[in-house]
Amino acid sequence: MTDLLFLAFAAVTIGAAILAIEARDLVYGAAALGIAFLGVAGLFFLLDAAYVGWFQIAVYIGAVVVLILFTVMLVGPKKGESPLGLKRVSLLAAMLVSLLLGMTGALANATAFPGPDSCGSGCDLSLFSTSLLKNYGVPLEFMSLVMAAAVIGALALSKTDRGQ
Amino acid sequence: MEPLSSFFGVSVILLGIGIYGLTTKRNAIRILFSVELIYNAANLNIIAFARLRNPPIVTGQVLVLFTIALAAMEAAVGLSIIILVSRLNADIDLSKLSKLKG
Repeated sequence: MTDLLFLAFAAVTIGAAILAIEARDLVYGAAALGIAFLGVAGLFFLLDAAYVGWFQIAVYIGAVVVLILFTVMLVGPKKGESPLGLKRVSLLAAMLVSLLLGMTGALANATAFPGPDSCGSGCDLSLFSTSLLKNYGVPLEFMSLVMAAAVIGALALSKTDRGQ
Repeated sequence: MEPLSSFFGVSVILLGIGIYGLTTKRNAIRILFSVELIYNAANLNIIAFARLRNPPIVTGQVLVLFTIALAAMEAAVGLSIIILVSRLNADIDLSKLSKLKG
């Protein structure tokens, strides 16, 4: 059951990711990107990280994909589509990187990371929240500071000087 | 429970797709897609390593929470830059943007 779910989520994620990069229309690309995010969220659920999975759905599909769609509509889906001749080299580079990292993954195989069947205290939500607020409270506050800076920066960037 | 290598494989494939898009595409929005895919590959990696460790630890999920928030901010700033560029240039092909070139 879990194996089938894993295969389904992995296939959906990878297929949608390829479609997101290769789809001719940017709107379809953004929709495929949302489906890929959904697949990754499903993989999070399989890894007993339900809270992070819901967070992923809320932030990525609820905010990032909608923002991207909004920008695509604003900029115009036909802009900036130009083919180029670099394709073969970079395909080779991507395959090489994948091969290298895949070899690392094969070396770090099941012996080093057996992965117990029941997650136990490693996925406990109350432990997660206490760890988030107690051990990582200062980084959390810095994160909100960075978020405020990002919002202000985005507003400053898109401000027009029409009034002056 | 699947072994680590299967999740790791999905993550590596996502990273490969992201690198491929990053190097071949010149549309700024498409490059942002690639960056988000690479973020997702990293997040999947962190969660898988934290869960399939013996014993599993909760720190990985905390870390991924931070990464997701950072990725959302990065997307917001990047998209506002793209909107600005499209207003100034009428095109978002990154190979044609040379105003910042030294």
